[in-house]
Amino acid sequence: MIRIEAEPWAAMLAHASQTYPNECCGAMLGRRGADGEKTVTRAIPLENAFPGSQASRYEVRPGDLLAAEKAARAANLSLIGIYHSHPDCDAYFSETDLRNSCPWYSFVVLSLRGGSFHHANCYLPDADRTSALQEPLSCPDGDINLWQES
Amino acid sequence: MARILIPTPLRPFAGDKDSVVLEASTVGELLDLLTRENAELRKHLFTPEGKLRSFVNVYVNDEDIRHLERDKTPVASGDTVSIVPSIAGGAAPADTEAPVAELSNEEILRYSRHLIIPEVGLEGQLKLKRARVLLVGAGGLGSPVALYLAAAGVGRLGIVDFDVVDQSNLQRQVIHGSSDVGRKKLDSAVETIRDINPHVQVDRFETALTSDNALPILRDYDLVVDGTDNFPTRYLVNDACVLLGKPNVYGSIFRFEGQATVFAHPGGPCYRCLYPEPPPPGLVPSCAEGGVLGVLPGLIGLVQATETVKLILGAGEPLVGRLLLYDALSMRFREMKLRRDPECPVCGDRPSIRELIDYHEFCGVPAAAAAEPEPAGPDIGPLQLKARLDRGGRFLLLDVREPHECQICRLPNATFIPMREVPKRLGELDRGQEIVVYCRSGARSAKVAEFLRNQGFGPVRNLTGGILAWSDQVDPSVPKY
Repeated sequence: MIRIEAEPWAAMLAHASQTYPNECCGAMLGRRGADGEKTVTRAIPLENAFPGSQASRYEVRPGDLLAAEKAARAANLSLIGIYHSHPDCDAYFSETDLRNSCPWYSFVVLSLRGGSFHHANCYLPDADRTSALQEPLSCPDGDINLWQES
Repeated sequence: MARILIPTPLRPFAGDKDSVVLEASTVGELLDLLTRENAELRKHLFTPEGKLRSFVNVYVNDEDIRHLERDKTPVASGDTVSIVPSIAGGAAPADTEAPVAELSNEEILRYSRHLIIPEVGLEGQLKLKRARVLLVGAGGLGSPVALYLAAAGVGRLGIVDFDVVDQSNLQRQVIHGSSDVGRKKLDSAVETIRDINPHVQVDRFETALTSDNALPILRDYDLVVDGTDNFPTRYLVNDACVLLGKPNVYGSIFRFEGQATVFAHPGGPCYRCLYPEPPPPGLVPSCAEGGVLGVLPGLIGLVQATETVKLILGAGEPLVGRLLLYDALSMRFREMKLRRDPECPVCGDRPSIRELIDYHEFCGVPAAAAAEPEPAGPDIGPLQLKARLDRGGRFLLLDVREPHECQICRLPNATFIPMREVPKRLGELDRGQEIVVYCRSGARSAKVAEFLRNQGFGPVRNLTGGILAWSDQVDPSVPKY
């Protein structure tokens, strides 16, 4: 279970709209509860460093992720996950997402339609990055799985 | 003794510690010590064969060990070692970015000087081969960019140009030769590119870039190189690049000076952050009006080509947020910091421009005048002027060209006042007398005629087509330049 607080959620959606029609990406910072529940309290927008067309690809520069990790330590938080957007397409975990993911983090995918938020999902890749489990996601826009569609 | 920071998700495998201090002399030793007694942690970082997993990056302080000595990178007391995963993805199905199978033996030989540079290598050369670059304009800047990008092995080059090669282009537009005069620039450019590198696919766009066609044309390319010579197209290229999220590799030239930068790169500024408004029409002369040192576009174009290659490779530090200024006379480069303007109407936080607009209107240039340089108005043609001169007409013939142009050729009995001096030398002109203004092409003189009319002079006529038309229609002994 991952819960995203209002402030980081608003920042993530604003970031996704801003970069539309390109994909955005960023880091989610927060805490891990004893019960395994994660709470995101801060979102850090990162630059999409993918060298080609960014309409359907993103890449996080490792140096930026290192800086996010440092910011997390400084604020006594943890790097919980990575978010990115899928402009004009559903929030599924694509083969590209899976193969370039990392099993240590939660991956939130935001679907945008015409520049506005549509729905979102969260995924947990397995160690070999061959499949990903969907992680229940709770955010100010409600129970996200409501929007899930094909 | 170096400190290794443990990413949160791995802490349960490292005794819940957020960092561990270990005695080791290299990164390899350090990671080995860290994971030796912890199979679970080892599995997260290493493959069963004992290699670091492909998504794991290791940093010593702020430096990726791949740029140092990899696992042999020494660590000293006080160093901090961080483990950072590579993360990427996107909605695109994995196979759309599938690498072009490989390079042929011929290509391997052709690109061998690239392949042996670590920053390029086979991977980089394949990136170049997969890259799609759009050149707007095959003129002064477009020529060197096209030549070198083709030679470097950029797989697909789109060229937008509807012009024809003119004798006066040859001084700088080196992709065209003397035998190409009168041919379409596209034909001549494509032929030269084929000869340089037959592996390059060239897409031809024989059209002016317009608000109607810019998005569909740009959409298929990874980045755009701006080699345009006018403000409406420059703003159009900028806005289209921002809207589509494509980097805009910008260059501009005038006489001995040039500028280059990369606009619309994620997080960086765009052309409108630098110049929110175009200059008043006529204030900044084009190369045709103001002249340009022939070698200048070679240098600025190659700065653009270099930045293009770097962006494709993801190598080095791109010219983003920095405007490179070059002065050929003093042979100096300077750099100006540029920042993205949060208030920018197109790339700012609350953009007001969300689609392409009418750029001729925005720049105050009527579309008809932009397409057809002939000035309109109560003007006079070369033959009419000749007839009136022959009849001994009583009017002032005013030449508004620069002194060095007047040395090349002139019309009989003309008064010389360079355009920029006209406003402060109005006292030398008689308000009651008819004035005929001319310049090289009729463009500058049209502006001066308009200006004089607005100042209350009259009648003021512009010689349409300028000296060029005069030479064509009246006196071929007058040289065209």
